[in-house]
Amino acid sequence: MNNNDFDSGEPLPLNSAAVPRTASQKAAALKARLAKILAASGTGTAQPDDQPSHFTLGVDRIDTALRGNAGVDGLPRSALHELHAQSKDHRTSAAAMALLLAQRCRALQADRKPILWISESGEARRQGRLYPPGLAELGIDPSAILHVDAPDSIAALRAAADGVRSSAMSAVIVELAGKKPKGLDLTATRRLSLSAQKAGVLGLLLRCGSDADNPLPTAAFSRWQVAAAPSLALEANAPGHPAFDITLLRHRSGLYGLSARLEWNRDEQAFREQPGEGTPHAGAVPALAGVRADHPGMRAA
Amino acid sequence: MVIMAADRQAASLGLGPGMKLADARARVPDLLAFDHDPRADAHLLARLAEACERYTPLVAVEPPDALILDITGAAHFHASEDALAQDAEDRLDAAGYGAGWALAGTADAALALARHGLKEGAEAQLPVAALAMDDKTHQSLERAGLYRIGDLAERPRANLAARFGAELTLRLDRILGLEDRPIDPLRRVGNIVTERRFAEPLTHIDAALECLSELFAEAAERLNQRGQGARMVRMLLFRCDGDIARLGLETGAPTRDAALFQRLLRERIDALNDPLNPGFGYDLIRLSIVATDPLAPQQLRLAGGEDRQEDEVALVSQLSTRLGRERVQKFVPADSHIPEQGLLALPALSAPAPVAWQMQPSGDPPLRPLHMFDPPQRVQVIAEVPDGPPHRFTWRRKAHQVIRYEGPERIASEWWQRKDGQQRGNGGLTRDYYRVEDARGRRYWLFRHGLYGEEKANPDWYVHGLFA
Repeated sequence: MNNNDFDSGEPLPLNSAAVPRTASQKAAALKARLAKILAASGTGTAQPDDQPSHFTLGVDRIDTALRGNAGVDGLPRSALHELHAQSKDHRTSAAAMALLLAQRCRALQADRKPILWISESGEARRQGRLYPPGLAELGIDPSAILHVDAPDSIAALRAAADGVRSSAMSAVIVELAGKKPKGLDLTATRRLSLSAQKAGVLGLLLRCGSDADNPLPTAAFSRWQVAAAPSLALEANAPGHPAFDITLLRHRSGLYGLSARLEWNRDEQAFREQPGEGTPHAGAVPALAGVRADHPGMRAA
Repeated sequence: MVIMAADRQAASLGLGPGMKLADARARVPDLLAFDHDPRADAHLLARLAEACERYTPLVAVEPPDALILDITGAAHFHASEDALAQDAEDRLDAAGYGAGWALAGTADAALALARHGLKEGAEAQLPVAALAMDDKTHQSLERAGLYRIGDLAERPRANLAARFGAELTLRLDRILGLEDRPIDPLRRVGNIVTERRFAEPLTHIDAALECLSELFAEAAERLNQRGQGARMVRMLLFRCDGDIARLGLETGAPTRDAALFQRLLRERIDALNDPLNPGFGYDLIRLSIVATDPLAPQQLRLAGGEDRQEDEVALVSQLSTRLGRERVQKFVPADSHIPEQGLLALPALSAPAPVAWQMQPSGDPPLRPLHMFDPPQRVQVIAEVPDGPPHRFTWRRKAHQVIRYEGPERIASEWWQRKDGQQRGNGGLTRDYYRVEDARGRRYWLFRHGLYGEEKANPDWYVHGLFA
């Protein structure tokens, strides 16, 4: 976690002069082999060189922890990730998290492709639909959103498969409700995941009302749980910036249990860890100390 | 009640339009009578007109009971023009409709001949009633000893015009073929129409789709020459038993890409409510480009780079074709301060160029929710009267303690939209919005509907949205 100070992609500059030429050739060959293996395992992808293969959350602690086998900070951009709302009450937070991750990913691209948002129409009617002015308030341009109102989960997954395949989008977010959405299985997610990898598109599977003890098996690269967290109050006890509790439930590199309380900073378009007690912050409320981010009880809550 | 129309059997019994129903019943006791439904008649006539598109693209409906087909230059698939007309009659007869027809140089002449059961060249024998003037004119013509069109044709036009008006001479000239009037065809014809006829009907759906793709490729070639791309494509598959399957396709941007067309066509076929049934086979397949937009002749992409604009268009078209155009949307801001009216979700196929949304630059937290309920959902709130913030609220049977709040943000109703809105009490209810956060960190957008005591004795509370 503390190997921040050298670039993981290159050999150490100090060593390169010292090692013999044959050794450097050997290293190059090994590196090529490693890249091949990583590409096959889905951790590394065939990306154009000018675009980074990974996107970060903007929080150093999390980003370095997410290195895993790939040796690059953050999460792979061309992969499928899964976000679970902790419960139905946390649907909005999970949706926001997905959109903000997509936004971070989109900001890396020079041509700023749009984001495809797919939801089931019944769920949107009951639980509230995406409100573009609210997107703008989070710093996401609503005109960059292509909204698909799918009649059911099968149509939603099919639309997502098309979106991921076409490489016209920077990210594809598909929102599915319920414990066992119809059509969502290992095959469907594997297909999404492979297409995402091939086309260089970020796929986000947003699950709301999923069974926390028994989530459906998927081929996603990582699985996160998202919940709303109390914000740091502003002046006059006004609700502050959006705050999230995120927990890493699964990661292809075997990481587990990473959790944090994040706050979205719209002006910098980045997350930051919410300062807890002892950290000076304008308007910080001491009463919040009881629910610290890395508190072991948080995930069970 | 009067008879408006009678079928062949009734006509053979001497019943006909204009006769009183009671008289007819007296003659034929077991007469079947139905209410006259002019709209259903018009609908049927329009459908017959569409079916006649197999003969010519220029088909006009002549209410209440006639169709005009401009078959100029369109008869080469039949032995002669008469054979074409006979074919139409046979087909109508097979479908159970009796039809009379006539061929003539002008639409009005043909119409008059057909209505009076005469054939081409017999214009002179038409009764003066064929002029379709009012009864008074017809009577006075007959009183003057002019019974037939032929009698009128010999008369000097000036005298007739002086006596009966210029309208009569105009109609006379039209029937005699000296004057023509343009017909109003059923539909604007697509600029580019390609079609294929089959001696042996196609019974395989895949063969038909393959044929459509080929037709599109042909049309694309012509579009390319004109510097245009297709926006809307209409396809007609004529089955040999007279049934017509129609398919429409719309694309998000002008295109000439046959591969894209093929993909969209597959989507369209999959999304059909009743699948295509070739039955005994298609004997004519026609594809017309109904709407086009300028599209510069194709330029090869440099260095094989992918054109993302094109990819996006293809994706939008594909999704719209499968799910319906209303389901694939782009957001456009609307000029209203009422929160739920501040946006439009337009079909992405026809959405205008992206408009800039208002972005808050400052360090404020979001003031508008990410999810919105439309309509807002009722909540029970404990709040101070008259205008205090909410302390507790119950939503979906769960109690929430408000820990933090901000507000009110007062949003007045659009009183200028209402009748007498400027007067007290008529302007609609004002909303007081609060951003609140509960003990578990969830953020809600609540509003009080109406000012306490002033607009409403006991205002209701609603939750309108959820913040991240």
